[in-house]
Amino acid sequence: MTSNSYTGTDAGAEDNLDEELIRATVKLNTWILAGVFGCISGLSLCILTYLSLYSSHPDTGHFLNLLGVFMPGYEVSHAGAWIGLFWGALLGALLAALFYRVYARSIGVQIERYCDSDINSRELFGATLLFDANYLGLALGAVVACGLIITTNWLVFRGTADHSVHAMLLVNYLPGYTISLTGSFVGALELFGVTYLMCLLFSRIYNGVVFMRGRGK
Amino acid sequence: MVAFAKIDPVALAVALGCTWGLILFIATAILLIKGAPPGGEAGPHLSLLGVYLPGYEVDWPGAFLGAVYLWVIGAVAGYVLAVLWNLTHKLYVALIVLRAMWWKMMAE
Repeated sequence: MTSNSYTGTDAGAEDNLDEELIRATVKLNTWILAGVFGCISGLSLCILTYLSLYSSHPDTGHFLNLLGVFMPGYEVSHAGAWIGLFWGALLGALLAALFYRVYARSIGVQIERYCDSDINSRELFGATLLFDANYLGLALGAVVACGLIITTNWLVFRGTADHSVHAMLLVNYLPGYTISLTGSFVGALELFGVTYLMCLLFSRIYNGVVFMRGRGK
Repeated sequence: MVAFAKIDPVALAVALGCTWGLILFIATAILLIKGAPPGGEAGPHLSLLGVYLPGYEVDWPGAFLGAVYLWVIGAVAGYVLAVLWNLTHKLYVALIVLRAMWWKMMAE
């Protein structure tokens, strides 16, 4: 009885430790992804701005300037490129963190899958990540859908909905989308669906290549 | 260690390249299928991507060229992302090990 009771407590403590470890790892991964994605998106916007500045094409930066609606202070200029670097890094990091927080819910499923497979602990150290298509679609779909709702309603809130002819071009790809509260939800739903499908395709290709290279277990 | 699993850079490069390439191809194709408004051109705004992707236009050859461009850009982005992700994890684990060794040494 004593022995059983001790084993139960021991197992419970081990479970708590595992949960604590997973939570810490998710937190770390969130920071890493946010950092990496923030750097990439910030630098991309900075480079695009400089490319626009030095492009021979007339009025190149006209459309890129529209980002200033969502990123205060941003414009196609030398100073604007650095402000764009800041905003790109900040927004990229925030979106990546939000994405990973949702996607991390699949880690439990992935751990179970590894535990069920015949993989030994030595192989586990060199394990290659496999994407869970369903969670990836849900996470990325949710992020882009929220992004569309926020940006559209920002235009409505500013009172420039009627003048937002460029945002209205999205109707080419998202039928029923309009610059209004209702339109933003219709568009977000469609965008979620498209993103989900793209994530299914992406995961299938990634996991397929990993297995083809003999790295998937 | 599953949460620390490595991303395969080649697989991520291929997957991201294919997905981005397909997205631009579909985006161009939709505009081409819808057709240009009377007296106008198809996709005047999307064709501005030609500023960054030389030769890209909203026509069928442009759709394929754009897909190739985005494949390359996506592949590079995917590879860099995977390498940075793996490197950061390795550095972090190395830091933890070094710190543990340091404390052990100090305790002794």
